[in-house]
Amino acid sequence: MASTRREFLRNTWKVGGAALVAAATWTIFEALRPLASATSGAKIRLGNPANYQPGTATYVPEGRLFVANTGTTLLAISQKCPHLGCRVPFCDSSGRFECPCHGSIFDIGGEWIEGPSPVGMTQFPLSVEGDALVVDTAHTITGPPRGANQYLTPATGPACKPSGA
Amino acid sequence: MSEHESETNPTSSGLVGRAVALDEPGQDPSRDPLEPAVAYEPRSGVVGKVERSAAWRSMFRHPKLDTPRGRALQGFSNFFLHVYPVKVPARVLRLRYSFRLGFISTMLFGILTATGIYLMFFYTPAVGSAYAGMQTIRTGVGFGQLVRNVHRWSAHLMVLVVFLHMVRVFYAGAYKKPREFNWVIGVVLLLVTLGLSFTGYLLPWDQLSYWAVTVGTNLVHYVPVLGSTLQNLLIGGDQIGQPTLLRFYALHVAVLPLTLVLVLMVHIWRVRKDGFAVERSAVGASGAFAEEATEVANPAVPATAPAELYGGRTRVLGVVDRESVTAEERSVDDTVFSWPHLIVRHVVVALATATVVLALGVMFAAPLRGLANPNLTPEPAKAPWYFAGLQELLSHFDPLVAGILVPMGAVLTLVLLPYIDRNPSTIARHRKVAIVVFSGLLLIAVVLTVIGTFFRGPGWEFIAPWTHSYIEL
Repeated sequence: MASTRREFLRNTWKVGGAALVAAATWTIFEALRPLASATSGAKIRLGNPANYQPGTATYVPEGRLFVANTGTTLLAISQKCPHLGCRVPFCDSSGRFECPCHGSIFDIGGEWIEGPSPVGMTQFPLSVEGDALVVDTAHTITGPPRGANQYLTPATGPACKPSGA
Repeated sequence: MSEHESETNPTSSGLVGRAVALDEPGQDPSRDPLEPAVAYEPRSGVVGKVERSAAWRSMFRHPKLDTPRGRALQGFSNFFLHVYPVKVPARVLRLRYSFRLGFISTMLFGILTATGIYLMFFYTPAVGSAYAGMQTIRTGVGFGQLVRNVHRWSAHLMVLVVFLHMVRVFYAGAYKKPREFNWVIGVVLLLVTLGLSFTGYLLPWDQLSYWAVTVGTNLVHYVPVLGSTLQNLLIGGDQIGQPTLLRFYALHVAVLPLTLVLVLMVHIWRVRKDGFAVERSAVGASGAFAEEATEVANPAVPATAPAELYGGRTRVLGVVDRESVTAEERSVDDTVFSWPHLIVRHVVVALATATVVLALGVMFAAPLRGLANPNLTPEPAKAPWYFAGLQELLSHFDPLVAGILVPMGAVLTLVLLPYIDRNPSTIARHRKVAIVVFSGLLLIAVVLTVIGTFFRGPGWEFIAPWTHSYIEL
C-alpha cells in the first residue's frame, strides 16, 4: 500500500530517531568499555616450577594469584573469591583457601568445599617456557563446578577462619 | 509591557495586572482595590521607598500585601514559593499527615549538596591522592572534619528517610489513582538515592570503602549473560581501581545529582498536580479518593450537547480537564494559606533536620580506615548497611536468586504496585491483603538488614552484637 508523503516523513523521523538512540548507546558503551591497560593481561614469569613445594600455595602479588602445588599438579589460582570478589587467603594450617567475607572454603586446587560460592576458584593458564613457569593473566578459566573434588584431601590442621561468637 | 498596559490588557491575569496598578498615582496606598475592606499598612521610610522603586519591582513584581490576595500573589510570582500551592488543605499541616518525610529527604539532599561542594574543593579522585585528600580534610581544612561528618550522616539519613517516606505512602494508600505514576517516580528516586550513597562510599579510598564496593559491585556479576560486561562497564576493569574511582566520582557529583534533581522536580510537580491525598473518613463508604467519589456523583457532561440549546451555533471556549472540574467541586472551606502556615512549619522542620545532622556530625566522626589494600580483605567485609540484608541473603541462597532475582523482583514489584493493587480503597480494613503482604516483606527486609549489620562477624559467622560490634557505617 502506497504511503502518503506525511506518513513517509513520520516514519523517517521514527527510524532516524531509533538509529540515533542506537548510535548513542553504542558510543556510550564503547566510551565506557574498560581500556586494555585497566585490565590484567600480562604474562608473568614465575621461575622454576621446582620452587613450588607440594601442599603449598605461594602468593604472587603482581598477578594477584596463588601458585598452588596440589601434589600432582601446579595451578595458578586467582585470589578473587568467585562469590563476591573478596580476596581469599590461603590458610597454611588447614591447607585450604578460606574466604573471610562469607565463609566459602576451597581445597588447595581451588575446588569448592563449603560456603555460598557457586563454583570453585578461577584459574589462569600455566605453561612452561624454557625452564620457567609462565602464567597468562589475560585469560581466565572458570573454576571447577561444585563437587569436582579432584584435589580434595582432609584438612591438614585447624582452620584460620575465626570461630565468630 | 508597561504597568498600565498590563492592567488594561484583557488577556493578562487580572490579579497581577490590578496588583501592579496599586502603585499608580491616585490610588489609596492603604487599600487594595480588589479587597477594599481589608486595610494594610504599606512600609514607610527607606525600606518602603526601596520596595516601591522600579529596580526592586523589576525583581519582585508584586507589592507586599499582608492580605489574602497579597499572599496569593507572593505565591504566584515568586520562583521558590510557587513550588507550593497558594492554599493547602488544613489537614496537611498536621505532622502525622506525612511526617514531613518527603520534605526532610529534600532538605537532606540540600545539605548533602552544600557539604559535598565544600568537600570537592579538597578532594582529588585519584588512587594515589584520594586517601591523602581525606586525611587533609580531617586535619588541615577549616571545619573539614565536621563537614565530612555531616555529609556522611546526612547520606545515611537520606537513604533511611526516603525509604520511610515510601513505607508511609504505602500505608496511607497514597499511591492509588491518580498518584500511580508519582509512586513510580518515587521508586526511581529511592534507587537514585541508593546509587548516590553507594558511589560516594568508594571515594574515601579506605579499606572500608574498597571492600564494601568490591562486594557490592560483584553482585552485578550474577546478571545472566551480560553480568561480566555490566560489571566491567561499572568498575572500568576487572577489579576496583583508578577507572572505578573516576567513574564513581563522576556519577556521584554530576550524573546522579542531576538525575535526582530532574526526577525530584517531576515528583514535586506531580504532587501539586495530583493534589493532596484526601482524608479517608471524608470519602465515603468505598474509601476511594474524593476525585473518584465526585466523578460518580457528577458524571461528566456529554461531549456532544444538543446544538439547538445554543441557538444552533456553538463555539468552543475552552477544554477543561474532567479531573479539574471535579477538583473544583470539592469543598475549599478547610484550606489555609501555604504562607505562612505550611511554609513556617517547613522552616521549622528544615531547622530541626539541620540541627540533627549537625549534632550527629559533632558527636560522631565519619569512619576512615586504613588506605585501601587490594591484598588484604578486612574481616568482616560488609557492604553498606542498606545492602547488608542482601549480603545476608547471599550467604543462604544461590547468588542468582539472592543477588539478582530477589532485588530485581523487589524493585519490579514496587514499580508495578499501584497497577497490581487495583483496590481503590485507602482504608486499612479494606486493604488487608496488600498490607499483610507488604508488611511481611518489609519485616523480612528489616530482619535481614539487622542480622547482616549487627549479628555478623569475621567469616560471616553469627555473633552477638553485645560481645563485639562490627557495625560499619
